[in-house]
Amino acid sequence: MSEASCHNLVSRPWAVSLRVSAAIFLLSLIPIFSALAERPFPKPKGLVNDFANVISPAYKQKIAAVTGALLQKTGIPVVVVTMPDIGGAEYNDYANRLYRAWGIGKKGEDKGVLIFVTVKERKMRIETGYGVEGILPDGLVGEIRDRYMTPFLKQDKFGEGLLAGALAVAQVVAKASGIELSGQMPKKTVKKRAGFSFFPILIILIIIMLISKRRGGSWLFFLPLLFGLGAGGGYGSRYASGGLGGSFGGFGGGFGGFGGGMSGGGGAGGGF
Amino acid sequence: MGKGLKTLLVILGIFLLIVFAAYSFLKGTYNTLVTMDEGVKGAWAQVENQLQRRYDLIPNYVETVKGYAKHEKEVFVKVTEARSKVAGATTVSDKIQANNQLTSALGRLLVVVERYPELKANTNFIRLQDELAGTENRIAVERRRFNEMVKTYNIKVRSFPTNILAGMFGFEKATFFEVPKERQEAPKVKF
Repeated sequence: MSEASCHNLVSRPWAVSLRVSAAIFLLSLIPIFSALAERPFPKPKGLVNDFANVISPAYKQKIAAVTGALLQKTGIPVVVVTMPDIGGAEYNDYANRLYRAWGIGKKGEDKGVLIFVTVKERKMRIETGYGVEGILPDGLVGEIRDRYMTPFLKQDKFGEGLLAGALAVAQVVAKASGIELSGQMPKKTVKKRAGFSFFPILIILIIIMLISKRRGGSWLFFLPLLFGLGAGGGYGSRYASGGLGGSFGGFGGGFGGFGGGMSGGGGAGGGF
Repeated sequence: MGKGLKTLLVILGIFLLIVFAAYSFLKGTYNTLVTMDEGVKGAWAQVENQLQRRYDLIPNYVETVKGYAKHEKEVFVKVTEARSKVAGATTVSDKIQANNQLTSALGRLLVVVERYPELKANTNFIRLQDELAGTENRIAVERRRFNEMVKTYNIKVRSFPTNILAGMFGFEKATFFEVPKERQEAPKVKF
């Protein structure tokens, strides 16, 4: 984490300490047996899981491109999830249990990140797996939250906020893994500035779309292939329907997105 | 004579079968208890890691707050006292109690922090604040996992017929990491 990215924060004072007090008070209220988990977790759909339907297709593609490239290059999945609501559950607890249920990252390595937003409760959390706590300490994650995500989320710009957050996290992971990711750190300003770095990818996507239309297949089918996640036939459809644990890992030999990884509750969250 | 031998062999066979069944039951149950007991201990070690993490974080945090809120001596003293009690605790239940006290002392400190906008704007402080929040969340997560472990272990230890064996070999019920009742009436902080 470079010093330049750590300072000159303007947008942070509010609600920061409230968040901690809230964390301390509310987390202590979590019942011992976590009886909150009445509703089953949804099944993972891939790296972008927009259950709340708040991300436009264009942003979904952008996020999938960034996280897909990162996963392919580093093996570390950054999973984005939006929920319409979580039934009044404590959001930090919910995000942690969702992380565990999906098993983001490989078992034992536990390298993965969950970027979680619940729309109704207006809460978000970046949950870090055990294995990335070192490169993504809570302070840095908190900064990513305040600098790149909360300003967008406050304005209901979920696609923008999640893309900016995913990009920021991806940059940190890429840097720590010693690889280069195409694309720039997102700007704090709310103006649309992304896109240029995806231009080549978009062209490829369009070509693929045209090809696959002729073949009568879904162009989405090729998205994973584009990032070298190649797998046998049927990848696309199973990618979309998703399955937990064994079934997901079954075709994901090279995918490694949901391999039983765990998180110990690291990261940062808050309201927006 | 042949008949007598046959009966003897049958009886012996049945006897061996009973011995074998008893042995595998004992072995299975005992080993399960050992595994679960170790699981509880492992989960507790994770809890302690995070408690230690908080313990280490506090001096830095308190120092930063002190820089802006010198007059709030009482709160600082409370936190420091509670922290030293944590250091002195040896048994699991002592540690739980001491840490619960530290949690409530920290809660009061956080209320104080609210009154100092300049402090809340300090970059260094914001970072520490996030680290503390993250640590509290980690404690909550590990505590939940520990309690889940304790629950399954205790059910095993107390249910029949495992309870007989558990009593024989001295497997006792494990203690939950419970958060005191009074805390549940603590003022809710809006955020």
